[in-house]
Amino acid sequence: MMCNQNPKSKIPPGRRPLRAGGQNPKYYTWILWTFFLITILLGVAVFSLAVGAVDLPVRKAFFLLTKGRGTPEYAILFEVRLPRILLGFAVGGGLAISGVILQGMFRNPLVEPYTLGISGGAALGVCVNMVMGGPRVLGPLATSASGFLGAMGIIFLVYAISARGGGIRLSRLLLIGVMVSFMASSLIMLVMAVTRTEDLHGIIFWIMGSLEEPSSFLMKATLFISLGGMMLSFLFAVDLNALSLGEEEAFHLGVEVDRVKKALFVIASLLTGCCVAVAGIIGFVGLVVPHLMRLLVGGDHRILLVASYISGAAFLILCDTLARVVIAPMEFPVGVITGLVGGVVFIYAMSRKGYSF
Amino acid sequence: MLMRAFSPFVFFFLFLSNAFSFPSSTHPPHRIVSLVPTVTEELYLLGAGDKIVGVTVYCQRPPEAQTKEKVGTVIDVNIEKIIELRPDLVIASPLTDHKQIRKLWGLGLRVEIFDAPTDFQGLCESFLTLSRLVGKEQRAEEVLERTNKELEAVRKRIEGLAKRRVFVQIGANPLFTADRASFINDLIECSGGINIASDAKTGIYSREEVIKRNPDTILIVTMGIVGEREKEVWLRYETIGAVKNRRIFSLDSYRVCSPTPVSFVRTVKELVRLFHE
Amino acid sequence: MVKVEDLSCGYGKEIVLKDISFEVKTGQFVGLIGPNGSGKTTMIRAISGLLPPQKGVILLNGNAVSRKRPRELAAKMAVVTQSQEATPPFSVEEFVLLGRVPHWGRFQLLETKTDVEIAERAMALTGISHLRGRGMGKLSGGERQLANLARALAQRPDLLLLDEPTAHLDIGHQVQIMRLLKKLNTEALTIVAVLHDLNLASLYCQRLILLNKGRLRMAGHPREVLTEEIINEVYETSIVVKEDPYISRPLVFPVY
Repeated sequence: MMCNQNPKSKIPPGRRPLRAGGQNPKYYTWILWTFFLITILLGVAVFSLAVGAVDLPVRKAFFLLTKGRGTPEYAILFEVRLPRILLGFAVGGGLAISGVILQGMFRNPLVEPYTLGISGGAALGVCVNMVMGGPRVLGPLATSASGFLGAMGIIFLVYAISARGGGIRLSRLLLIGVMVSFMASSLIMLVMAVTRTEDLHGIIFWIMGSLEEPSSFLMKATLFISLGGMMLSFLFAVDLNALSLGEEEAFHLGVEVDRVKKALFVIASLLTGCCVAVAGIIGFVGLVVPHLMRLLVGGDHRILLVASYISGAAFLILCDTLARVVIAPMEFPVGVITGLVGGVVFIYAMSRKGYSF
Repeated sequence: MLMRAFSPFVFFFLFLSNAFSFPSSTHPPHRIVSLVPTVTEELYLLGAGDKIVGVTVYCQRPPEAQTKEKVGTVIDVNIEKIIELRPDLVIASPLTDHKQIRKLWGLGLRVEIFDAPTDFQGLCESFLTLSRLVGKEQRAEEVLERTNKELEAVRKRIEGLAKRRVFVQIGANPLFTADRASFINDLIECSGGINIASDAKTGIYSREEVIKRNPDTILIVTMGIVGEREKEVWLRYETIGAVKNRRIFSLDSYRVCSPTPVSFVRTVKELVRLFHE
Repeated sequence: MVKVEDLSCGYGKEIVLKDISFEVKTGQFVGLIGPNGSGKTTMIRAISGLLPPQKGVILLNGNAVSRKRPRELAAKMAVVTQSQEATPPFSVEEFVLLGRVPHWGRFQLLETKTDVEIAERAMALTGISHLRGRGMGKLSGGERQLANLARALAQRPDLLLLDEPTAHLDIGHQVQIMRLLKKLNTEALTIVAVLHDLNLASLYCQRLILLNKGRLRMAGHPREVLTEEIINEVYETSIVVKEDPYISRPLVFPVY
C-alpha cells in the first residue's frame, strides 16, 4: 500500500523530531504537568489541614499522628478536617471530569454536569424526601439516597425523551435537559412553599452544598466511585479525542459513536449524581476547571482528564478551606466561593488571550 | 497509572478514623456548649451559667452570655471550635444542621436535641428536662412554681373579660402567621385572646382571609420585617376592626419567639395590658 | 474493491439515492460528479458505512459494509469529509496521529513509535511537517484540508474516500492536492473522490461516475461521460467540450 516502504526513508533529515528512547516528548510534558498539579493538590491539602477556626500548627500533625490519639487536636485534624479534604477531593475531581466528558461529547463549552438537569433532579428528590419526612423515618442516609435517585430519575427521563425517534441527538438532549431543569426548579419552589419551616432550612442547607459529611461510609463510597469513574472514563480518552472532531469523523476513525456516547453519558451522570447526592449543589467546578485545563495542557483527553481531576480536587479543597476560615467560626456555603473564585479566574483567563474552545 | 500511585495515600487515611473518644461524661456536666439561645438563657436562670463554655452568636441574653466563646450560629456551627472546647454536653435544636449533629455524635460527643416547645406546658417540661440534665432540678421547680403563681394571678384578672380576636403576623411576603402548633397561640390564649389563625395548616396566610375574619387586634412580631412599614400596609384595609380602632401593635421578636418560662409570663402580662387596658 | 449493488438509501423517509449499481476496482481513481443535491455526499456516506442502505448492498472486498464494525472499516478505508464545523482542540501532529487510532488495541492509550513515524510520513507527504506544532484552529483552509488528508493517510487505508477535497481552495492548492492523490493512486491506493470541478475530475480521474437526482446517469472514462450532450442535459446549462492539448482529456467551458 501507500506506505509500504520503510517509513523513515522519505523523511527529510532536518525535519525529524528528536526522540528520546523512542518516546514522544509530549509524554514528558504530560508527566511534568501531572506532577506539578499533584504538588499543588498536596500543597492545598496540607494548607487545608493546617488552617481552620482552631489554630493548629501543621508541624504538630506528625507528632499527633503517632502519639496524639484521643486528644481534641487529633480529632480536629483527622476526623474533622481530613474527611472534608477527602470528600472535596472526590467531589471536585468527579465534577471536573464529568465536565470534561460532557463538554467533549457535546463539543459545547457551556455544558457542565448540571446543565442536563442532574442538580435539579437531585434537589427535587431531596425536597420531596424531606417534606415526606424521609430523614426521620429512614435515617440520615435517606437524604443522599433521595438526591441520587432524583438525579438518576431526571437524567434518564431526559435521555428517554431525547432518544425517542431513534439515536441520541446531542443538541436535543441538551435542550431537553435545560427545560427539565427549569421544570424541576419550579417544582422545588412549589414543594418549598408548602413545607414546614424546620424542613425548609434542611432543604436550603442541602441546596447550598457542603463538604461536611458525617457518615464515613458515604465519604468512602463517594471516593471510590469518583476514582472508579475517573479510571473508567480514562478508557474512553481516545474515543473522546475522536469525538471532538465531530460524530461523523469519529465514526470514520472507528469509534462506535452511539455506544461510546451512551457509556460516557452514564459515567458522567453517575459521577455527578453521586457528588450532588453527598455534597449538595456545588456549581462551577465542572464548568471552569475543564476550561482552564484545556487552556493549560491542551485538548488531548488523555492528559485533560487526569489534569482536570487533580486540579478539580485541588480547586474544591481550596474553596472549601476559604469557606471555612474567612468568617470563622461561621462558614460560607462552599458554592459561594467556587462561584466567585472560579468566575474571576475564568474571566481573567478568557480575556487574557484569544481563547477558543 | 496516576491513580495506582495515589491509592496507598488515600487508603492510609481512610482507615485512620474512629480512633478518638472524649472522656465519658460524668454527672452533672460541667462543660456545656449551648447552640440554642433560649437554652443559654434558661441555663443562666438555673444558675448553671458558669458551666457554659460555648454559645452561638445569637445568644445575647443575659448579657453575660455574650462573653462566652462563640461556636457559630443557631443553624451553622463550627465543629472544630466545639471539639476544642472539650464539652461534655452539647445542646442543639432541630434548627442545627443535622449533618453537623451527626458528625458530633460520630466523634463521641454527647449531643442533646431540644425540640422547640409548642405551648407553655412544653416549655415547662423542656425547662425541667434541661434542669435534670445539669442537676439543678430544685432550682427549676422553684422557678416554675413562681411563674405558675403569676400566671394564675393573670388568669384570675382576665376572667370574665371579653376575648380579643387577634391576628399575629410573623413575616411579610408572604404573610406569615402562627398556627395552633406554635406557642404564640398559647401566649395569646393565656392573655385572654383568640388566635383567628389557629386553624391554619401552614404559616402562610392570605390577607383576604384576615379581612374576612376581621380581627380586632393585630400583633406584628418584628422578626426580619420592619414593623412600621407593615403597620402602614394594614392601615389601607379600613374594614378591619383592628385598623378602625388603631389596635395594631409591634412586639419584640426576641422575647416572643424564644421564650423561657419566665419571659413567657412576662410577655403574657404585657399582652394582657395591650388587650384589656 | 467496492461493489455497489442496486443501492437505495437516504435519511429516514427521504430517499436520496435510488437503484444505483457500480463497481470500483482496486487501484482505480474514481471521480464522483453531479450537480448540487444529486447525492454525491450521500454516496460517500453510504460507502463509508455511516449510512446503512435501505435496499441493496455495498460490498468492500466482498463483505457487506453495513455488517462491519466501525473499527474494521476504519482500518481499511479512510474518509476525508467536508464537515469542518468543529475546530479540534489539537495541534496538527496530534490531529494526524488520531488517524492511527483504528489500528490500536481496545485498551491502548498511548501511540507507539511506529504510529509517530507513520504520522510523520503522512505529514511529509502532504507537505505540512512544518505546521506540526500549530493549533488546528490557526490553519488556513488549504492547510486544514491538507491536514485532513494527512490524517486519512495516517490510517494507511486501502481505500480513500474524499468529499470535495478541493472545495474553497485556490488553484495552486487544488492542483497540489490532485497531484498528490494521483501520486498516491499510482502507489496502489484506491480513491473515490467527490469533485465539483469537472475539469480537475477529467484530468486526474480514470473513471467518472455521474449522478443526477439520486440516480446513476453515466459511468465510464471521462471521454465517455463528459460529452456536451450529457453535461448540458444533467447540469441544465450550455457548455462546450474541448480537448486538453497534453493528455487528450475533455475540458468543459461555459458558453458566454
